[in-house]
Amino acid sequence: MSSSDFFDRAEFIQYFRDETDELLQAIDADLLRLEQFVDTGTLDAEIVNSLFRALHTIKGSAGMLEFAAVQQVAHKLENVFDLLRKDHMPLTESGVNLLFEGRDVLTGLVRSAVDGAEEPAGVPDYVTRLDDFASVYDSTAQAIEGPRAHPEEQDEHLVQVDHVEVAAFEAEVERLLAEAQTQRQAKAAAAPPPPEAEPIDVDAAQAAVDALFAAAPATPAPAAPAPAPVAPTPAAPTPTAPAAAAPPASKPAVAAPAPATAAAPAAHEHAAASTVAAPAAAADPKRAAKNQTIRVDIDRLDLLLNLVGELVINRTRISDIASTLGRELGGTTNGRVENGLSQLAKDLSESSALLARTTNEIQESIMKVRMVPIGQVFDRFPRMVRDLAKARGKDIQLEIAGAETDLDKTIVDEVGEPLMHLVRNCVDHGIEPPDVREAHGKPRHGKIRLNAYHEGNQVIVEVSDDGGGIDLARVREKAIRVGQISETDRLTDREIIEQIFEPGFSTADQITDVSGRGVGMDVVKKNILRLKGVFDVDSVQGEGTRFTMKLPLTLAIIQALLVRVAQELYSIPLDSVIESQRIEASEVRTVHGGEVITLRGQVVPLIRVGEFFRLDAPRDPDKVMIVIVGLQGRQVGLVVDSFQGEQEIVIKPLSDVIGRIAGISGATILGNGSISLIIDVHSLVASAYGGGRVARAEFSGV
Amino acid sequence: MAETVQVVSFKLGSEEYGVEIAQVQEINRMVAVTHVPRAPQFMEGVINLRGQLIPIIDLRTRFGMQRAEHTKNTRIVVTEIGAKRVGMVVDSVSEVLRLPVDAIEDAPDMITGVDTEYIRGVGKIEDRLIILLDLAKIITGAEKRELEAADVDAVPVG
Repeated sequence: MSSSDFFDRAEFIQYFRDETDELLQAIDADLLRLEQFVDTGTLDAEIVNSLFRALHTIKGSAGMLEFAAVQQVAHKLENVFDLLRKDHMPLTESGVNLLFEGRDVLTGLVRSAVDGAEEPAGVPDYVTRLDDFASVYDSTAQAIEGPRAHPEEQDEHLVQVDHVEVAAFEAEVERLLAEAQTQRQAKAAAAPPPPEAEPIDVDAAQAAVDALFAAAPATPAPAAPAPAPVAPTPAAPTPTAPAAAAPPASKPAVAAPAPATAAAPAAHEHAAASTVAAPAAAADPKRAAKNQTIRVDIDRLDLLLNLVGELVINRTRISDIASTLGRELGGTTNGRVENGLSQLAKDLSESSALLARTTNEIQESIMKVRMVPIGQVFDRFPRMVRDLAKARGKDIQLEIAGAETDLDKTIVDEVGEPLMHLVRNCVDHGIEPPDVREAHGKPRHGKIRLNAYHEGNQVIVEVSDDGGGIDLARVREKAIRVGQISETDRLTDREIIEQIFEPGFSTADQITDVSGRGVGMDVVKKNILRLKGVFDVDSVQGEGTRFTMKLPLTLAIIQALLVRVAQELYSIPLDSVIESQRIEASEVRTVHGGEVITLRGQVVPLIRVGEFFRLDAPRDPDKVMIVIVGLQGRQVGLVVDSFQGEQEIVIKPLSDVIGRIAGISGATILGNGSISLIIDVHSLVASAYGGGRVARAEFSGV
Repeated sequence: MAETVQVVSFKLGSEEYGVEIAQVQEINRMVAVTHVPRAPQFMEGVINLRGQLIPIIDLRTRFGMQRAEHTKNTRIVVTEIGAKRVGMVVDSVSEVLRLPVDAIEDAPDMITGVDTEYIRGVGKIEDRLIILLDLAKIITGAEKRELEAADVDAVPVG
């Protein structure tokens, strides 16, 4: 029977990919931390353990999915960390590089396993090198351990459980637990006790470990004979349970690369024995920690948000009904009926107020759920900077601040690429080679800083370096050479800097594999503009460069003012609304054929939305409802039929099939299922100012 | 055995049209359509189809025919071409039928109702003529026309 009968494989693969991605990221971060201990003769055990656990989890999951290559490499890497944590191996630079490489090999293998892509080249070669590397220390370990342990050997059964077997055992336990869990999910009700769960399709080794496992819960813990793990005289009582369990485990099939190390020191042995007991107990807290977060498809959140929108609309309707009811009752005279009914009306408005509060809270919570820390993107850079700096012969320190800054998931997803280009740019063009830095009186190692923080309704993300800054003369020269500007153009410094955002611009003298291919900065700028962000560069020659992007907190959801125009509901993004006003028709004047009003001494042009959109919208002879919108200091009054209140809306693009429509930036689905188009304030303001002629032609045409 | 194609057939006026069934996602009764201002004439608007915005083309207007009042037989044929979904308003939907491939001929020039560039061929089944549409062309045509329209009355920016 195949284990895959018990779970939805596709779903599990998806889970495996997500989980492994995270673990690989964590491995990267840990390796970077570990690297600091190279050749120091010390180690942070916590880091090594964390690496060991991460690989261990990957190995276990890969085994479950029968991704043999992933399992194999993960196992071998895990083995190296085991040697490290047992102090059998010194931490050397070549070792760390080999581990970094291993992490990449593993990434490639995971990808190929999950996506069915081709297996990355060079895996067998890597495995051989890793084996060669580890075998030196494996044998050293035996040499050290062997003689020392032998005289103290008390119980050969116990002793035979060496660390490799422990690892295999742990993997098996985890595998079984995971399996049991999937089974529990599948057969929700009658959950069999995990250990007795159906034996998985097995080879001899697994069967052996199964047997070992089956014995474990019967006697609470194999370590039971010696309650204190550090007891100087170990396992004196006849270890019945382990003895029963151990022989099968000692069958050669267990994945032990080296023959079981003859014997470990007694104390050491106990540590190992208690580890055997640990997984069953330890698995639970570990699982509990995992359960703190769950993965949710973003579409489900969007759906939730839509539903809440519906709730909001209904809530508004209910409070309308409540107030209407109260009003109507105020007019009746039948005393008794009135008393009873007005009490009901009061209750109704009270509970509708409560409903309103709860609804708002739900809405806010869902918005918060969509927010993720930008650290998710920052995390990939330490490794990238390390590798790039090495490749370019530079010494670079990366500082990260504000990784916990939250912003909408969609923006976090999109911001990665522009950030990557910026960081690459800093490494390649910003930071000078160490010798050059020294010659300029700077420290040999350069600094790149990633920083994020909230500012009002925006998130500021900065990438800065303390490198050479942008060489204006060179930029200018290059821009002239590629024909972006001409020799005679007189440009301000700022305008010269702008040149680097032109497509195809690069000052790198030679094309490198890092950057300098002439793509990059223009892409960065385009991406940031697409995110409705603002992008800026400061540079001081000799001191460094700082790229700043200002991004909206969220793209998908905005606060909007709903207005009615010719029977249709339109949404105006609230961040551009300054105020809404009702004025007398007589206050509208005409200047050069265009309508204006005077607002606090300022002349504000009007756009009649209905006429702009060529709708059948008769003018109200008495009053004019105006929404004053502003953009970059310019104000325009949008004339609408009525105001319909504020609401949070989820922006959806209009279909490509419709194409771009002047004055419309998208649409949203309201709670009652109807559609409201979103007014593009940008283009309306532009048409009132820059395109005055066109806008007026528009009016006269109606 | 002769190769066949399955088509959904529908009517516009007195003419019968067909689209390949693989391109048809669903067929709906007429619903409220939200008008999109300044869109081309044949663009009826957008509808909310279970939370998705679907643009709606009035096929009559698209083919230069007289716009018709909607009746209880009016249907929206929701099609899917690539990643694009488009609804088409038709007078009525007739049936799903199998056309032998060799009963399909190239569009003759004599068909005057529809611009021949949107026609993939004409299927003959007994005495019926079914005009097979090239949906991709209808949609990209819509985009092209929209771009032209945008050039004419674009709102200058800046």
